[in-house]
Amino acid sequence: MTNAPMIDVREATKKYDDGPPALAGVNLSVASGDCVAILGHSGSGKSTLLNLIAGLDKPSSGSVTVDGTRVDQLGEAGSAKYRRASIGMIFQFFNLLDDLTVLDNVMVPAQLAGMGKGEAKRRAVELLGSLGIERHVKAYPQRLSGGERQRVAVARALMNKPALLLADEPTGALDSSSVEDVRRLLLDLNAEGQTIVLVTHDVQLAATTAHRTIELVDGAVARDVVNSGSGAGLAAAQARR
Amino acid sequence: MSALGKVVRSGVGRRRVQTLVMALTTFTAVLSSVLSLGLLTAVQAPFEHAFTTRDGAHLAVQFDGSKVTAVQTTATAHVAGVTEAAGPYPIAAALDTTVGTDCPKTDWAGHDNHPITVTTRPDLGSTSGMDQLVLTQGRWPTSPGEIALPANNYADACFGSSVVFSSLPGKPSFKVVGFADSVTNSATGFATADGFARLTTAGATTDEQMLYRFARAGTDADIATDKQAVAAAVPAGAVEDGQSYLTAEQQATGNAKAFVPFLIAFGILGLVLSVLIIAIVVSGAVASGIRRIGILKSLGFTPSQVARAYTAQAMIPATLGVVLGTVFGNLAAGPILNGASEQLGAASATIPFWVSAVVSLGTLLIVGVTASIPALRAGRMPAVQALVVSRAPKAGRGQTAQRLASRLPLPRAMSLGLAQPFARPARAVLVGAAVLLGTVSVTFAVGLGTAFSKYQATTMSSGFNVASDIVIPTADVGAPWGLYGPNDPRHAYLDATKVAAALAKVPGTKAAFGWGDSGATLVGAPIGGEPPVLYTVSGDFSWTNMQLLSGRWYSAPGEAVVGDKLASAVGIRVGDDVTVVQQNKQVSLKVVGINFDTHGSDYTAMTDAATFTAAGLTPRIDQFNVELASNANGTDWSTAATAALTPLNASVQSNSSDTNLLVIIMGTLVAMFTLMLTVVAALGVLSMVVQDTRERVHDLGIFKALGMTPRQTVAMVLTSVALTGLIAGLVGVPLGVVVEKATQAPMGHAIGRHLPPSVTHVYTAGLLLPLLAAGVVIALLGALLPAGWAARSRTATALRAE
Repeated sequence: MTNAPMIDVREATKKYDDGPPALAGVNLSVASGDCVAILGHSGSGKSTLLNLIAGLDKPSSGSVTVDGTRVDQLGEAGSAKYRRASIGMIFQFFNLLDDLTVLDNVMVPAQLAGMGKGEAKRRAVELLGSLGIERHVKAYPQRLSGGERQRVAVARALMNKPALLLADEPTGALDSSSVEDVRRLLLDLNAEGQTIVLVTHDVQLAATTAHRTIELVDGAVARDVVNSGSGAGLAAAQARR
Repeated sequence: MSALGKVVRSGVGRRRVQTLVMALTTFTAVLSSVLSLGLLTAVQAPFEHAFTTRDGAHLAVQFDGSKVTAVQTTATAHVAGVTEAAGPYPIAAALDTTVGTDCPKTDWAGHDNHPITVTTRPDLGSTSGMDQLVLTQGRWPTSPGEIALPANNYADACFGSSVVFSSLPGKPSFKVVGFADSVTNSATGFATADGFARLTTAGATTDEQMLYRFARAGTDADIATDKQAVAAAVPAGAVEDGQSYLTAEQQATGNAKAFVPFLIAFGILGLVLSVLIIAIVVSGAVASGIRRIGILKSLGFTPSQVARAYTAQAMIPATLGVVLGTVFGNLAAGPILNGASEQLGAASATIPFWVSAVVSLGTLLIVGVTASIPALRAGRMPAVQALVVSRAPKAGRGQTAQRLASRLPLPRAMSLGLAQPFARPARAVLVGAAVLLGTVSVTFAVGLGTAFSKYQATTMSSGFNVASDIVIPTADVGAPWGLYGPNDPRHAYLDATKVAAALAKVPGTKAAFGWGDSGATLVGAPIGGEPPVLYTVSGDFSWTNMQLLSGRWYSAPGEAVVGDKLASAVGIRVGDDVTVVQQNKQVSLKVVGINFDTHGSDYTAMTDAATFTAAGLTPRIDQFNVELASNANGTDWSTAATAALTPLNASVQSNSSDTNLLVIIMGTLVAMFTLMLTVVAALGVLSMVVQDTRERVHDLGIFKALGMTPRQTVAMVLTSVALTGLIAGLVGVPLGVVVEKATQAPMGHAIGRHLPPSVTHVYTAGLLLPLLAAGVVIALLGALLPAGWAARSRTATALRAE
């Protein structure tokens, strides 16, 4: 096992047009198995940073390396294959496809990656079962609650066994009971060794889910602290012992 | 600029592709409509005007002067159905003429001038009564030595010189003092009574001509019935000939009118496509701009202003298309109309202004109504609903299709695309309709183009035009074609028997036949238009692929085969007898077949040379067409043939055939319209897929976030139109075939021909199978660009789009 970080962002700057940069020389290093929360107000650059890590956008300068891959140097097809293989994403509004069943939604990433239909189905059912929503396999997303939809999104994100799970405001559209539901899910995943980057403006969620919180202000890292009392922090501490 | 104006301008600016599509489709529709309607009226109008103002005769009947009295012919004016009659007038039909040697233009002096049918009337320049003759140059003849001819029956450059009746004893000569004509070509030479008497004295056979107008004369069948009624009123066999005004009309308008059927078809296709595209674009603009409509209404725009804003966004490009289509339609009509107008002596060949006005205003009205329907819907939409409504398809649509598609053994990107049309079925139907019209256009055009090619091939590469090598009299080598008429003693002919024997001995000769214009006239053949020709033929021509439409080829002396155009014009059928006259000797021939012959003249017939020999007439052969054996060396054969033929005053020449300009112009127009309609159809698909892609941009973002590659994205978008394209193609091909068949018959009728199966049967399996893929190809071509845009769209931006 090497000591190379899972995510290594160096002097990443992102500029749009002539305005101030969305990101200004951000440095970030995330170790494998960590759960890191990126905190910030609207427009602070946290989603931009997430997009750079996911290969959805490219930095104007600087580098983004994930699991040994220079993401900022990938072309369109390369980025797609990178996301397929290394990244799982969950979003505030779930981004499920309304005209596909829950099962089909979860299977899509594996099928795009060329996995056989039978194998993809087996894996999807297994994942949905482990997330406690196997009874909804034939349902369409609109018929599920917010928490259930986010679980489906998580199942879909984990379908290709990604090295990194990126969560963009995963509780932003949920009621309080569902927020707790998703928070526990993320803690469990991290406890199983899943590296997670969580983008949120919810200080409480960041403090209780991630073992480390990075706060962005105007595109720059303003604070980088370890949440020793968080569930993830405790789990990480236990794992380190 | 007003607020409304700014909204319209920004709408047009934001939808550049759709704006271009609307302009192009309207341009196509208007161009073809102006051309078709313009040609129809411009070609038809001069004849109809002249026929009406000059009180043209529906039928000019020629009676055999030896079988009927003047009293009997006059009495036919009272036959049932006759509403007006004139005559009898003396007439001498189809007299050979040459240009007099006094013509100052040496190129024309003594040149063959084709046969002329001469008549005389008490007052040639009468401006009342039936079939008023019109003088276009010079004056009417006033002395026995003068004559007036139609302008196209005598060389302009020789006006004022003489015309010589070369086949009459003594060769009487007349000074051409005027150019004049009958609108229905009842005669082609007009002399004083004394002048006509000179022809009679010189030996011309004189008959009597009566002119009639009938209560029912709209069709060939009506005219045939009328003619029968007249014939029944006189002794049997007294009616020699009946000239129908419909034949004269066809002669005057035929070539230009042949354009009308297919231009009408393209005009209708263009107009339907135009309406469809405008409905697609404006509905799409409304559907994708619902939020914008809500904002406009919240800012104080009235429903009427919103409706006008969206209607105007369609009317601006449509108006541009209408203006350009009208201008180009008028410009393109010029060359086509020139021929027809010259024949009728019309001053100019332009499309009437009202045609441009009606087509332009009519198209704008249709576009306006089409655009205003979705625009009014936008105007009536409540502002709150407009602001909150989502652009995404309603949930639930297409779920079954997605479930079924996911079971197909296809890559997931393709199965996702395959189900997409079911999420928006109305849109899929519009895409399908655009592709359908495109496929109909392509199928129709390919069929028509193939028919044109076959017609060209049949015309230029078979029958009398076949063979790469021909043999002609040495005297004709380098001489202007038609220098001497067939009855002119200076015309050189071949000794058919000797030439055939010599050719048979030349190594490499596989087959040969000789033929020539006999110089004989056919009693009853049309007087106007191109002079009728009776070919005398020697030898076997079965290898020439000459087309027989009905009956059989002649097999014995006394039998003849008549060309389809002559048969149609005169009403000749298999089994009829026709009378042929050569230099005052006549023979009756039995018609045993109708053939399709476009060589040389409109009106043709052919018989074996032995028929003439047996009847005491002179068969005339001035060309042999030779087929070489497949292993023969052309140069060696030519050398050997030249050596064998030179002593017979015959020379070997390579055969050359001219291309048919009319067919080339038609082919060009068909190709142009097909290209435009196909492009418009593909642009219609493009417009819909662009709109669909914009509305699904969020879903595309999700797919790309999940790892969909650009190639997979392209595959998904292309597959989303492939099924629609396939179905539209399968429906469009048979419809295209129907349109082609419906167009072909009137086109053939316009040029007075019955087209043979070798020309009309164009849709072979080899042609149809690729055409079935046309729908998919059009759909894919239309979707290719937006698929590329979808593949290149920024995922992060797409994910933010809601």
